[in-house]
Amino acid sequence: MWKELLMSMGGRAMQASINVNSNDRQTVLVCCGTGCTANGGREVFKTFETLLKDHAEIELLPVIKATGCNGWCEKGPLVRLLPRDITYCSVAPEDVSEIIDKTLIEGILIKRLLYRDPVSKEYLSSHHQTDFYRKQHKIALRNIGEIDPGQIDDYIEREGYQALKKALQEMSGQGIINIVQAAGLRGRGGGGFPTGRKWQACKNASGEEKFIICNGDEGDPGAFMDRSILEGDPHTIIEGMILGAYAVGASRGYVYVRDEYDLAVQNLGQAINDARQRGYLGNRILGSDLTFDIEIVRGGGAFVCGEETALIASIEGRTGEPHDKYVFPTEKGLWGMPTVINNVETWANVPVIVLHGAEPFARIGTKNSKGTKVFSLVGKVVNTGLVEVPMGTTLREVIYEIGGGLLKKRSFKAVQTGGPSGGCIPASLLDLPIDFDSLTEAGSMMGSGGLIVMDDHTCMVEVARYYTNFLAGESCGKCTPCREGLRAQLEILNRICDGEGTIEDLDLLEDISVTMQEASLCALGRTAPNPVLSTLRYFREEYLTHIEERRCPAGVCRALTTFYIDPVKCTGCQVCKKHCSVNAIQGEKKEVHVIDESICIRCGECYRQCAFDAVKLRQEELR
Amino acid sequence: MKIMLNGQEREAREGETILEMCRREGIPIPTFCYYQAFGGQGACRMCMVELREEGQEQTRLVAACTYPIKSSVEIITESERIQRLRRTIVMLLARRAPDNPLMEALARTYSSPRLTAIEVEPPNCILCGLCIHACEEMGRTAIWSMFRGIDKRIGTPYDEASEDCIGCAACARICPTQAINLEEEGSTRRIWNKTFELVACQRCGKNYTTREELEYLWERTEYGKEKLCESCRKKTLAINMKSFQQ
Amino acid sequence: MQIEAREYEYANDYKVLIESYSGKPEHLLAIMQDVQKHYNYLPRLAISMISQHVGIPVSRVYAMASFYKAFSLVPKGKFIFRVCDGTACHIKNSATLLDQLQEHLGIEVDETTADGLFSIETVNCLGACALAPVMVVNGKVYGKVSPGDVERIINEYGGQSYASQHKC
Repeated sequence: MWKELLMSMGGRAMQASINVNSNDRQTVLVCCGTGCTANGGREVFKTFETLLKDHAEIELLPVIKATGCNGWCEKGPLVRLLPRDITYCSVAPEDVSEIIDKTLIEGILIKRLLYRDPVSKEYLSSHHQTDFYRKQHKIALRNIGEIDPGQIDDYIEREGYQALKKALQEMSGQGIINIVQAAGLRGRGGGGFPTGRKWQACKNASGEEKFIICNGDEGDPGAFMDRSILEGDPHTIIEGMILGAYAVGASRGYVYVRDEYDLAVQNLGQAINDARQRGYLGNRILGSDLTFDIEIVRGGGAFVCGEETALIASIEGRTGEPHDKYVFPTEKGLWGMPTVINNVETWANVPVIVLHGAEPFARIGTKNSKGTKVFSLVGKVVNTGLVEVPMGTTLREVIYEIGGGLLKKRSFKAVQTGGPSGGCIPASLLDLPIDFDSLTEAGSMMGSGGLIVMDDHTCMVEVARYYTNFLAGESCGKCTPCREGLRAQLEILNRICDGEGTIEDLDLLEDISVTMQEASLCALGRTAPNPVLSTLRYFREEYLTHIEERRCPAGVCRALTTFYIDPVKCTGCQVCKKHCSVNAIQGEKKEVHVIDESICIRCGECYRQCAFDAVKLRQEELR
Repeated sequence: MKIMLNGQEREAREGETILEMCRREGIPIPTFCYYQAFGGQGACRMCMVELREEGQEQTRLVAACTYPIKSSVEIITESERIQRLRRTIVMLLARRAPDNPLMEALARTYSSPRLTAIEVEPPNCILCGLCIHACEEMGRTAIWSMFRGIDKRIGTPYDEASEDCIGCAACARICPTQAINLEEEGSTRRIWNKTFELVACQRCGKNYTTREELEYLWERTEYGKEKLCESCRKKTLAINMKSFQQ
Repeated sequence: MQIEAREYEYANDYKVLIESYSGKPEHLLAIMQDVQKHYNYLPRLAISMISQHVGIPVSRVYAMASFYKAFSLVPKGKFIFRVCDGTACHIKNSATLLDQLQEHLGIEVDETTADGLFSIETVNCLGACALAPVMVVNGKVYGKVSPGDVERIINEYGGQSYASQHKC
């Protein structure tokens, strides 16, 4: 019956999902990532559990699984039904009984819960048919949303621990390093250092004991791929680390996870226990000579601990202050012993590379950046969420084809990549293929993969101020250039945003930036001037407008902005009035509204909310 | 091991830092946070020098106090690039101690522009961290660097009198900018919000240490329970030696 | 460091928490986190006991507590409003949410209301960027919060009196 319905609805995409195997047991996958949980995913999951119990008439009760983050948080909570591969968006607990009665029992699709393509207006039965997913290529995220992270067998069913078995049976430690090197895997945490070379250095180093660390201290505001992997597919990290341990000869491993990530800590903890019980961790793993175990360390909450030497200090029970890396951690790391530190996403790639060999991985990507990269696409873009694309995909493809373009069809101004110490890339570089080197050349960096889309309502000076303020609070404060440089830059940027900046301030910003880049102790300090330098490089005009004309063209800097309502354009729809948190807007329905400037706090909420462009910046008029 | 230092061939000991070598060779490198007994911290970054590794064309900047010489490298301790860095570092640090003679002198040396002063706690502290090391070396660790980023400062827990502080003032003596407030009045000393009773030298009668420090030293060393100031101790020692020789 | 006499009432509770770990320095962070989770801050006596247990001077334990954002040196409110100021939230106007909260509750960031009910904190990123702007109250995530929602959320936690004070 549902087949007929599908056919009647028509559409190219519909055909793909008709591959029903009636023997396959039905499975309900409820996304319980942080985003969906915030939108009630857990309640949906529980409602399925409760209601399905009452359906004794169903011969084979569907399996219900709580999965990790699908990355499409915008449309959550997501409910997926297998084997038919149906995806329902924004499901509420009230929808559950209808889903059971209509779809699970009768096979009828519920149109209102399907995703509707905004362009073709087609209803798509599976999220796999949406542009958001179709253009992705999943390696690191391959299992997320497909498995219950709490079930080790789910992971095993999808090639889990196969790479480990293969390695222990047929490969030497050096063999693994060779494959990782040949695959061209580079560190996904920020630096892009070749992983194979790092492992080789650690293998060659001598020490009583060696350590493996997974850096899950995802501190970049605006990035959440590590959280998603740790929550949604913890076994891939564990398997990756065991392979790393075998390759370099390590016996102990640590996963350093941000303390804020409760669910990640919980799921990873369970996964480690399950892996121990199955003999994947512990003494003589799977009967081999390999002995390795993993412990979780909850991070203390410091961005700087993403830096290797600071992370080590933190695990050792000290404040997270880095030291000079003239001797690498691969030689002298944790407790002075050779240590490999890789980021969560890097580890997630390792089992796939070891199992399938270097070549398939190396075929993806650009000359010097192989494989895929996970980005967290957020900000003023239609489809927000996690996306995994081949290296070399252009920014335009990610933002417009996967991301669906800008919210409210506003115009694109910049995309910020690489986290706080990355940079802002302007529209003229939208066709830049994303890889480690191209981003660095553009004055930004890959970082951990945040992609924050900004529209013309974003003030680039304020963005630089925001990041500098963030870094000033997150710098460990040990070395002069970073600590005092950030302090001075923050003062200057505050001045400019308050309309008190001078042209000389820009020279000073640049001078301090150079010293920070050249003399800072760690990577945080050396990249800390990037937000300032990249905005000065691409948006200098905007700085000049703040300084010379004392206005903020984006309407963000409160000292330089006054809003008013254009009586010609105002339709009296009352949206602005409803959103005004201080009741500064007066006006009856369908009549022209007025902003009382004496009450207005210039938050700009009305400016952003107005669909008719009726809220305007006073300065534009003065010009 | 042979290395190139400012264009001249020199002998370096494997593993020693660039700074140690330069000090031995009599090449001056400015530092704030370095003290021989504590080793390099790599914190103030005044000692940055240019380094060219074998086979590399470009030089890179490294901190002389922490970079261990392990191969035949080339080191340049003075250049325009280095001058520029030091100028900015002094400019940024001088704001913390605007009227301090040392900082004023350095600002002149490096022609550092003057930025508006900032208020720091304790006043004039440039966060070189030497006091922390001195205190740790005494075996007390009463002070440490608190908070982080631009709020970082040195102090005792809760800015209160610390049980671990013995008032030895090793921190104040090592401070390059005299930022640690040491008040002495009559027979009391006040430092880090704690008041100590001073003990007089049994030989010359001068107040020379706190009761806490004295007791701490008595506990830790095999000295007799004498109360002798540094110079009187030396004199007594000399006299004893003489009598021993006779 | 002064410790008030009444704090010693809790000494045994602290002891149980602290001694569930070995005295190795590598457990310092974990011990501090457990105490923080239990009491919403690190009490003075606990800091002193932790220092003894792991054999690390009080000044260094205190430095850790002040360095890492996970720790608080003063008691926190029963309900902690954590406003995300990650980039995604920031460009979606999280600053106004914060202003609203501060104004309603009459306290600044990192402060606690006099009745010990509410605290406000900012957090760098909760990793829920797709729902920006985000606010979390004792673990419950509120996504896409508009400034107008703030009062309602405060009321959910029994803050009616605060919300009404604000109305002028």
